[in-house]
Amino acid sequence: MPGLSMRQFRAILKKDIVMELRTKEMITSMGLYAILTMVVYQVALAEAGENFDVRLVMPGLIWVAFIFMSMLGLNRSFVHEKDQGCLDALLLAPIDRPVIFLSKSVGNLLFLLVVEALSLPVFAFLFLQGKEGIGNPIWMIALVLFGASIGIAGVGTLLATISVNTSGKDIMLAVLFVPLEYPLLRAAVGATFAAVIGGPGTMTAFWGWMAWIAAFDVIMVAVAYGLYEFVIGA
Amino acid sequence: MGDMPDTGAAVEVRGLSRAFGLRKALDDVSFSLPAGAFLSIFGPNGAGKTTLVKVLTTLLNPTGGSAKVFGLDVVEDSDELRRHIGLISHNPLLYPDLTAEENLLFFSEMYGISEPERRVRELLVDVELDHRRLDVVRTFSRGMLQRLSIARALLHKPEVLFLDEPYSGLDPHAMDILDNLIGSIRGDHTFVMISHDLDKGLELCSHALILASGRVVMFEPRSAIDEAAFRETYRATVGTGVS
Repeated sequence: MPGLSMRQFRAILKKDIVMELRTKEMITSMGLYAILTMVVYQVALAEAGENFDVRLVMPGLIWVAFIFMSMLGLNRSFVHEKDQGCLDALLLAPIDRPVIFLSKSVGNLLFLLVVEALSLPVFAFLFLQGKEGIGNPIWMIALVLFGASIGIAGVGTLLATISVNTSGKDIMLAVLFVPLEYPLLRAAVGATFAAVIGGPGTMTAFWGWMAWIAAFDVIMVAVAYGLYEFVIGA
Repeated sequence: MGDMPDTGAAVEVRGLSRAFGLRKALDDVSFSLPAGAFLSIFGPNGAGKTTLVKVLTTLLNPTGGSAKVFGLDVVEDSDELRRHIGLISHNPLLYPDLTAEENLLFFSEMYGISEPERRVRELLVDVELDHRRLDVVRTFSRGMLQRLSIARALLHKPEVLFLDEPYSGLDPHAMDILDNLIGSIRGDHTFVMISHDLDKGLELCSHALILASGRVVMFEPRSAIDEAAFRETYRATVGTGVS
């Protein structure tokens, strides 16, 4: 990345972090949503019985919460830019549009990872207390979260840019986001399942799903990067 | 900032069109503005004034014709052109949760300004906001926002300044400050201003343009304008509204 682009990348990322630390809008709304969803899950599973192995549904529950939580955050990340015409001010500058994509994506990835890291212990407390723990090392779950969050942040940043200029931006993001993220969501649930259940054969399944996640990240983030100039200038 | 091509006209617009779907916001607009001029653009709501400024500032691509600012095409040379233009809008274009200083430092990085701290301090003094430099912009009055917005637009020392209803919502004191700021930089810049205020627009301009339904109704140097006839044309234009 040339010198000016690097300065611009760092400045946008720093600006987003400073504003988030000051307002805590994204992290609070995403964190609250994740925790409330988990409380609802707990109520929904209240009659499942003592012998019900919650680990069988845990990966799906986690990713449903994280996917919807990330939509909330991604929408907010561009509302700041639209406020008082800030996006126009950014576009008036001699900045390569993909630099905006990269810096916004990295910022969104950081915020997603923070909320995921904070909400997972709450999830474990609500569902795994007094029950059998996860079958494989915790780093495997961390790796799935990191890998899948790259795809969510990258594709989500592109889609949030498209939807912020539409009248029904919340609906528009959901309509575009869920179908496009479906392959990633499927792989993330599969990899999380393998990490949670443990036992023979799960490592092979885990790495198979992780390869799927890595392929999604590389292809979709590259496509989003390539399309960004067109999307933001449209 | 880099050198600009040496052309006679600061702004050269030829057959410019911009459509949104079937609706033409700009329709075959042509005019030529000399360097150092102050153009006031008048017209009713929906006449295409803001669209014209958005095309000239590279925020929108035209759908037909061409527009050049100091010889730089708004589509082909947009990256280079952005180094030479500034925009002051009725929207402040500032981040409300950053301080005045943080906002200006952020935009300094966007333009790759060397010694940004010095430039920012200098501009904050110029717009009389040095004492509020550490306050978040959300706490600023409309007049203070507009002054900070001027500082943001001048950070990279642009040759052409676009003003989109800059006096909108300002109290008389803030208008005086804006007048003084424009007066102090007038000799070094070319201005393109959208205004609904006929008196203010005519007072400041060296050229005047009336737009209606995306078309140029009148474009004249100020010296050639008969004010009574101009006002009559303007009233008739506003009266006819837009398509």
